[in-house]
Amino acid sequence: MAGEDGKDKAAPAAADGQRKLDRRDVLMGLSTVPALGLFGYAWSKQKQVKEATAQAAVAPRAAAKGDVKEINVALIGAGSQGQVLTEAMLRIPGLRFRAVCDIWAEYNQKRVVNTLKRFKHEVTGYVDYREMLDKHPEIEAVVIATPDFWHAEHTIACLKAGKHVYCEKEMSNTLEGARSMVLAQRETGKLLQIGHQRRSNPRYIHCHGKLLNEAKLLGRIVTVNGQWNRAVAADLGAPERYAIPQETLTQFGFKDMHQFRNWRWYKGKGGGPIVDLGSHQIDIYSWFLGSNPTHVTASGGLLYYDPKTHEWYDTVMVVYDYMTPNGPAKAYYQTQTTNGSQGYFETFMGDQGTLTLSESEGNNPGSLYRDPNAPAWDDWIQKGYISAPQVPEAKEEEKEGGAIADVRESVAPDRHKVPVTLTDPYHQPHLQNFFDAVRGKATLNCPAEVAYESAVAVLKVNEAIEANARLAFRPEDFKVGGAA
Amino acid sequence: MMTGTLASHWAMVGITLMRVLVGWHFLYEGLGKLTADSWSAAGYMKQSRGPFAELFRGMAANPNLLAYADTITMWGLTIVGACLILGLFTRLASLGGIGFLLLFYLCNPPFIGYFYTIPSEGNYLIVNKNLVELAALVVIFATGSGTFAGLDRIVRGLLARKPRLAAA
Repeated sequence: MAGEDGKDKAAPAAADGQRKLDRRDVLMGLSTVPALGLFGYAWSKQKQVKEATAQAAVAPRAAAKGDVKEINVALIGAGSQGQVLTEAMLRIPGLRFRAVCDIWAEYNQKRVVNTLKRFKHEVTGYVDYREMLDKHPEIEAVVIATPDFWHAEHTIACLKAGKHVYCEKEMSNTLEGARSMVLAQRETGKLLQIGHQRRSNPRYIHCHGKLLNEAKLLGRIVTVNGQWNRAVAADLGAPERYAIPQETLTQFGFKDMHQFRNWRWYKGKGGGPIVDLGSHQIDIYSWFLGSNPTHVTASGGLLYYDPKTHEWYDTVMVVYDYMTPNGPAKAYYQTQTTNGSQGYFETFMGDQGTLTLSESEGNNPGSLYRDPNAPAWDDWIQKGYISAPQVPEAKEEEKEGGAIADVRESVAPDRHKVPVTLTDPYHQPHLQNFFDAVRGKATLNCPAEVAYESAVAVLKVNEAIEANARLAFRPEDFKVGGAA
Repeated sequence: MMTGTLASHWAMVGITLMRVLVGWHFLYEGLGKLTADSWSAAGYMKQSRGPFAELFRGMAANPNLLAYADTITMWGLTIVGACLILGLFTRLASLGGIGFLLLFYLCNPPFIGYFYTIPSEGNYLIVNKNLVELAALVVIFATGSGTFAGLDRIVRGLLARKPRLAAA
């Protein structure tokens, strides 16, 4: 071997095959150690750069110290949604995390606590939210991202402890739960924001306020269409060595680790796919149409998954009837379980144009089609409300020698873009709105009453699927009165 | 043999340099994963193609196996990297490195007719950088480069002293 040849040459004295460690051996032996030192130096430099970049992203917090009072916050529910919200909150100025509560102490709780500690937040982890509330009187606001069936209890306990609450949607998996949350909010006078985050998304606010209400670009909206196409998802699973003790699981309402991880599959835990996915978008229907639905028809079923594992349906198609201030409208919504192509979006069609938008910056972020017979949109283009028209896809295809349009087809309308993008995480503006309201500088974009109306419209779908019928809403269904 | 000695001395210097560079890469890959907020091989394994695709996807789908695979990968890369830089237990570390690279290669092999959506920085046909690095480790393994310049040389010297003392 080459190395041994060199060695033999260097140590001819070891003629009898016995070796000893000479100076040359030691020098050669240690010769590559400095490379490790160099690595350590490069590594620490690289870490500094990374930390500086991360700090820069959250720099507003430090920068804001002078002019805004820090708000002490806590998180209940450190699962994937809790982590999404935490990341968004780290970018909001003037927040000070104090506590994180999650029953999965060894995994999610630990992970979020460690992340927050890296950003210099002194946080304590808790399994029981009551202990957390007892030990942290300084907490002013609590963000709740627990499974739906816990929302009411967690929210009410926090409100009654004098905290402002940001609770993830769906408000609750039951109407009774949602109603009790509205009542607790009224009783305590604390703020309660529900996480329908599109309500604070600048693109949705622009479309609602400027394009629909001010410019009335669509004319009279008559039909609405929306969807969330979701791909088949496997059991989320969990490594056995991180399993939560059975005693804790039982105490917090879970049969086992499998149910804890996949609670959305179970009735009584989640509210089904119309709640998990549709809720966000049906909330937009009512917001943009300016009214609540009068009827709902729904057809759904467990078409893909095995009824042995999934209690909730996986596919549902819904038609809502509306009586809007401008006349009747129908709105379709579907969510299904096959693959995720075409993703999610909402489309509003009026006699003058169509608006398609979604929360996603990648798929359907926002476009408008003007009907050729509608009044010109030049003024709105000049004002910057919409982009200049772009070559419609159909015309482009024709140019490239594609198919020739059939005479029965309407002339393809021009396509415009909605020139508003959100570069921050999707949930950041909604959280920002909540914390601004805590400081008295804003009103909530999705207070409890508004979210309750949305919950009424959405949860009725589950009833309609069961009844396999068209169900009517009464206007008073959407109000939380004294009588339950 | 003697005629080759001088040439092989410089060859050994080159191989040592190569060993330190490969080790550096392994060490950074390992430490980067260890210190990431949450790293998992699941994404890479779910994309798997080729003859072993089922195996890798099965591993990614089993949370227990996945947790072990993640831990072994993170620590394995780190330890192999440090050993290669230092020239400590070089042959064992080379074998370990070859094992990892073989798994990475087989998980997403650049075979003819495969189109990947994973962003990659180059263009590969059958041979990719994993395979090239693997070949480098074969050379490092074959030459036992740590006994030329590395802690293995000192370890060997220390081990060799004992019998001499015993004989004396």
